[in-house]
Amino acid sequence: MKDVIFVVAIIALTGFGLVLWRIPFLEKLDRWAQYAIAFAGGCVIAAVMMFVFSLVHIAWTRGTLLIPLVLFAVLRRGRGFASPEKSGSSAAALQTVFWLTVIGVLTARETCGDLLYFWGPKGQAFYTAEGIDTKFLSFQHYSLMHPDYPPLLPLVYAWGAAMAHRFSWWGALFLTPIALLATLLAFRGITRNTRYTALLAALLGFGFAKGMVAGAGEPLLLLFETIALALLTFHGDDDGALLLAAIALAGAAWVKVEGAAFVAVVVFAYAVTRRRIVRPLLVAAPAAVLFLAWLLFAKHYHLIDQYGRAGQTAHFELLGGVLRDTAKTASYGTFYLPWLSVLAPLPFLRNFRRAALPLLTAGGLFAAVLFFYLHQPDPGFWIASSAERVLLSPLMALLVATAAASE
Amino acid sequence: MRQQIESVIVYLCTALLIAAFVTRLVTRGGPYFARPQTIVDHVGPGKHETRDALVLLPKVEKLIPRGAEVTCFRPIEGTANADDTANFYTAVGQLPRQQVQPPFTAMLTVPTGSLVEYVVAVGGPFDHPAYRVIAEFPEGRLYKVER
Repeated sequence: MKDVIFVVAIIALTGFGLVLWRIPFLEKLDRWAQYAIAFAGGCVIAAVMMFVFSLVHIAWTRGTLLIPLVLFAVLRRGRGFASPEKSGSSAAALQTVFWLTVIGVLTARETCGDLLYFWGPKGQAFYTAEGIDTKFLSFQHYSLMHPDYPPLLPLVYAWGAAMAHRFSWWGALFLTPIALLATLLAFRGITRNTRYTALLAALLGFGFAKGMVAGAGEPLLLLFETIALALLTFHGDDDGALLLAAIALAGAAWVKVEGAAFVAVVVFAYAVTRRRIVRPLLVAAPAAVLFLAWLLFAKHYHLIDQYGRAGQTAHFELLGGVLRDTAKTASYGTFYLPWLSVLAPLPFLRNFRRAALPLLTAGGLFAAVLFFYLHQPDPGFWIASSAERVLLSPLMALLVATAAASE
Repeated sequence: MRQQIESVIVYLCTALLIAAFVTRLVTRGGPYFARPQTIVDHVGPGKHETRDALVLLPKVEKLIPRGAEVTCFRPIEGTANADDTANFYTAVGQLPRQQVQPPFTAMLTVPTGSLVEYVVAVGGPFDHPAYRVIAEFPEGRLYKVER
């Protein structure tokens, strides 16, 4: 029963995001996409609130957490919504992938080791301490848990645990199909393209299973990244869409270290393709504020670990090996099927101008992955353990590019 | 015509990816619709390195007082395995009411007065002269220091 409460509580984070329905742009999306974006925004709002509560020493209890949830939900404003694009085969693909992911997760076929080793313990420690447990994070023998890693996922887990009065390992795994479904519904609503929603479903469903991401940061990271990139690509001139993209980018920067790199790459690509400076900077502002706030917090409590390695020297002499190993892992054991799937439709497409932003983003993300590996003294280990997961972001960006060129 | 070809390609790729997804799930081994005992039961073709600890730790948790210091590792030839990060970190998540210490706190070189109070030995026995077994399970044993 507590597992169910844990999951329902995480889904209920959507209540925080309902305040985003006040943004007029959302009227252009169907109701399911509105809920999906509310869920993503709700995760960000709840995480920021819990972080602030921790700073001002307000303990996380059901009372202190639920009262703001109710207030945010009341602040919502019911707006109209567009009718959803209908396609039987696309809906079938989406549902098939969702239920396969549910089966995969609940039969322990997609579990990421990082859930056991640090995401779960952090979420549990935060819940027990009723705040961000800096004593736990700074314990020297737990340093391999990356004490300065962005806090959004453990905060979401702590939220679920605070409501269920117990941390749920199965509940943490179940966040994966929830985030996957939200990603697909948001993408379908933003792009109004059912064919590429089906392809994205298959791509991420397979990628999550092969990369073993359940319980780790990738499902939420891909949710934020997909929303931000799709909004900037398809509605890059709408102020409301930019505001939502900015919130999604803030979420990405607070889920994983790679999320900050994504923000930098996509904002650069947006500035280059739109030939503007101020708007991209405004879009990046919430992410920058959250990123700096967490960095200052980590520095104050002597938690700096990953971010302290920014000055590491690159091992360019390993470039050949890094390229070879990354290319080998990038095949996903399927003769590069994920890459072929997102690139195969390109020769039949027209609108390459619109695809420039996600194409540039995909290239930048791939370069960022290589850049990270070149800074490791033993890149082989890192490539073997993470490439299938981190390459999902450039794959998603390529799919957004193909969908954009399809219009 | 272009659009039709594009649609065929997109749906063909979708179908192939779903087939690869199903294959991936199937190759993790059965049973396919029964709830597994731990969250790592089907992550690979073989047994996951933390599976025994995930079964054992909930059993020993009730026997260790709240706030007590404990460590967890898979012994090597009866001694503490200082490099067993997997079982150590798994214990951090599975024993939230206790204080989980690294495995080296139960090594022979540690003075008796500084030894960690409880040891969860996964798999084989732990042969430290300062510890006695207080509970035994198929997946391992729980030890307590005698000072």
